[in-house]
Amino acid sequence: MVPPAIEIRDLRKVYGDKAAVDGLTLTVPQGCFFGFLGPNGAGKTTTIKMLMGLAPPTSGTIELLGLPMPDRSLDIKQQIGLVPDESMLFDHLTGGEFIEFVGRIYGLDRSTARARSDELLDLFELGHQPKKLIAEYSKGMRKRVAMAAALIHRPKLFLMDEPFEGVDAVGARLMKDILLDQVRHGATIFLTSHVLEVVERLCERVGIIHAGKLIAEGPMSEMRGAAETLEDAFVRALGMEHAAETLDWL
Amino acid sequence: MTHIGAIFWAQWRTLSHFYPRRGVAWSAVVSLIWYGLWSVVAIAMLRVFSNPAQIPTIRIALPGGLLLMFLYWQVVPLMLATTGSSLDLRKLRAYPIPDSQLFSIEVLLRVTAGIEMVLVLIGITIGALMNPALGKWSLLSTAVYVTFNLIIAVGLRDTLARLLARKRIRELVFFFLIMAAALPQLLMARRGVVSPQLHLLVARDAWEGWPWTAAANMILRIRILPSLAILSAWTLGALVFSRWQFSRTLAFDADAANAGSSQPSRRSWWIEWFYRLPSTLLKDPLGVLIEKEFRFLMRSPRFRLVFLMGFTFGLVLWLPMVFVPRGPLGEFFVQNYLTVVCVYSLMLMSDVCFWNAFGFDRSAAQFYFLAPVSFRRVMTGKNLTGLFFLLLEIAMVTAVCVLLRMPLGFRRLSEAYGVAAVVMIFLFSAGNLLSVRHARAVNPANSFRTGAAGRLQATLFAIYPVVFLPVMLAYLARYAFGSQTALFAVLAIDALVGIIVYRLSLDSAIQTADRTREAMIAALSAGDGPISD
Repeated sequence: MVPPAIEIRDLRKVYGDKAAVDGLTLTVPQGCFFGFLGPNGAGKTTTIKMLMGLAPPTSGTIELLGLPMPDRSLDIKQQIGLVPDESMLFDHLTGGEFIEFVGRIYGLDRSTARARSDELLDLFELGHQPKKLIAEYSKGMRKRVAMAAALIHRPKLFLMDEPFEGVDAVGARLMKDILLDQVRHGATIFLTSHVLEVVERLCERVGIIHAGKLIAEGPMSEMRGAAETLEDAFVRALGMEHAAETLDWL
Repeated sequence: MTHIGAIFWAQWRTLSHFYPRRGVAWSAVVSLIWYGLWSVVAIAMLRVFSNPAQIPTIRIALPGGLLLMFLYWQVVPLMLATTGSSLDLRKLRAYPIPDSQLFSIEVLLRVTAGIEMVLVLIGITIGALMNPALGKWSLLSTAVYVTFNLIIAVGLRDTLARLLARKRIRELVFFFLIMAAALPQLLMARRGVVSPQLHLLVARDAWEGWPWTAAANMILRIRILPSLAILSAWTLGALVFSRWQFSRTLAFDADAANAGSSQPSRRSWWIEWFYRLPSTLLKDPLGVLIEKEFRFLMRSPRFRLVFLMGFTFGLVLWLPMVFVPRGPLGEFFVQNYLTVVCVYSLMLMSDVCFWNAFGFDRSAAQFYFLAPVSFRRVMTGKNLTGLFFLLLEIAMVTAVCVLLRMPLGFRRLSEAYGVAAVVMIFLFSAGNLLSVRHARAVNPANSFRTGAAGRLQATLFAIYPVVFLPVMLAYLARYAFGSQTALFAVLAIDALVGIIVYRLSLDSAIQTADRTREAMIAALSAGDGPISD
């Protein structure tokens, strides 16, 4: 039997007296395109940081691709592709150098890493300015290079924190096509995003987190229910329908 | 090994992109001078150790010398708030790199915190190899002693870095650390008081269990195998300790460690009152600009650390000079202790107050070019904030001197404050120019790393003598005329000239910022490579 790509049980992360993630239990099957949604400060990034092994959970268990985290963290990391927070990029490398660096860290030999890096740069339309440093990239370009680096070792599971943030329509379309292609080939994608239209179009399953707790989870069709769009369903789930009417002076 | 190769390759690429050609030249010149001086020391050591006639002197001095090297390697970098290069674990932890490889790289990088000592040890080793009375064991001794120092440095740095990453105990830890580091020289200055303890540490017949004594004994061919066993045991112990500490650092969650209660604390009201003070006294936008600086600096661990160092480490560092009043230098320190400590504190604070005034703002500095506020106001706000904290620092220095019952008369106070005021005016003048010409992003949460790049450090190397020239002229006047009035008269002229220079430099800084804003914002928005300085 194929283990789930992600299996989280009763996960908690406490900062001081505040639980950023509070008893999260979630299963994402392999080959699934999963959208993890929530308002700002809901616990999305904390969750994804724990999945990436960047923050240890206070309690609870995480299994990725059937392997326990952090006991088998090296084996797990070898099989996942990360599109992390922008601050994780090395600003004084060019895009090509960064992708090559990540490839080599994942164990590719130098020539393969360099060849794939060149191809990925072209694919993500970053190859026309090979000497440009990541520090000089726009936000969208930074996301593109992060995604290109995540692909270089052909991972089975992608963990992506706001991958479409700041990406233009053409870039977003390209990234969506690549991700869908990866899912068709059996990869699993777990992404957080504020762009609900993208999530609605791509994801098969969605989970909504609020104040550290999972308040809804299921297939896209069920989540949307009778609502017109995912956005309507999302806002209703959070009980924020009339938030804009609270300030008189506005 | 693949990972190690990839990390060093990425770092090499990072450095080659980071420094423009001129910056490389500047850094190379400064490095050449600094390491050239240490190479001269190494050659002197080579000559001493290769001379059989020097054996008696070597026997006496070597254990103490090796202890000093240990202290230089382990303690001095922490005191200077820079620990050489280290891995940026925030960015590397997400990748499948075995902890053992990260640890190996970190050990190798500790060389950067003690290159000077490696040079001296190379001199000693070659000299000993050339000396028939010493010989081949020196090579093994040096190799194991260097390994011991590299490994223990990782453990000590990691332990300290984690302690300093915790909000509430950071300042306390640092306070005890600097006191502990300054204690030996204080005790040594009080000659005769602790000679038995010092004897136990560094004398020729000191306890053989110390790593530096064991290393010295191996070089001197005294009980070679037991000494090797002792040194190896220390190295093994260091390895176990440092691996343990490194693992703890990898698993360390600074956010969780620093998370406090979500309820407002009892002391919140007076801190808030302090933050609001500039807005109470000054109109916006100046008031709110300074209020922002107050909030930002007070919340920056780096600033708090430097501020604490100013009136603790600065005092302790110069205290031994007061205890050795013999000779003209000793007498000078007794007479001018407060002045020296005040000026030293200003220099310590310079990195966070004026050399790189926009460093903590990082990419947010672009707001100053977007907001409907003149850049002159922004610079003035930064300078007034710096001035406030420098004055507070001097007040703290004075208060500690009073508590220590140092001799402080009106003459000494007025002289110290007069000198500090003149130095401050010129420092701010230079600082404004450097802040826009050499802007560089600094992580306010990082207590260790300096904000100064190699090129800026080279510039500072040239600026300090110019900044101190007016004060030196004042002291020259006192010496020439034998009158304190002459000193104050020249200081007053210095201050007037300084105000003119300050205004000119402020105008120039504003014009430069306007002209080079794009490059300035780009420099302030830049991040790090996998290994950071």
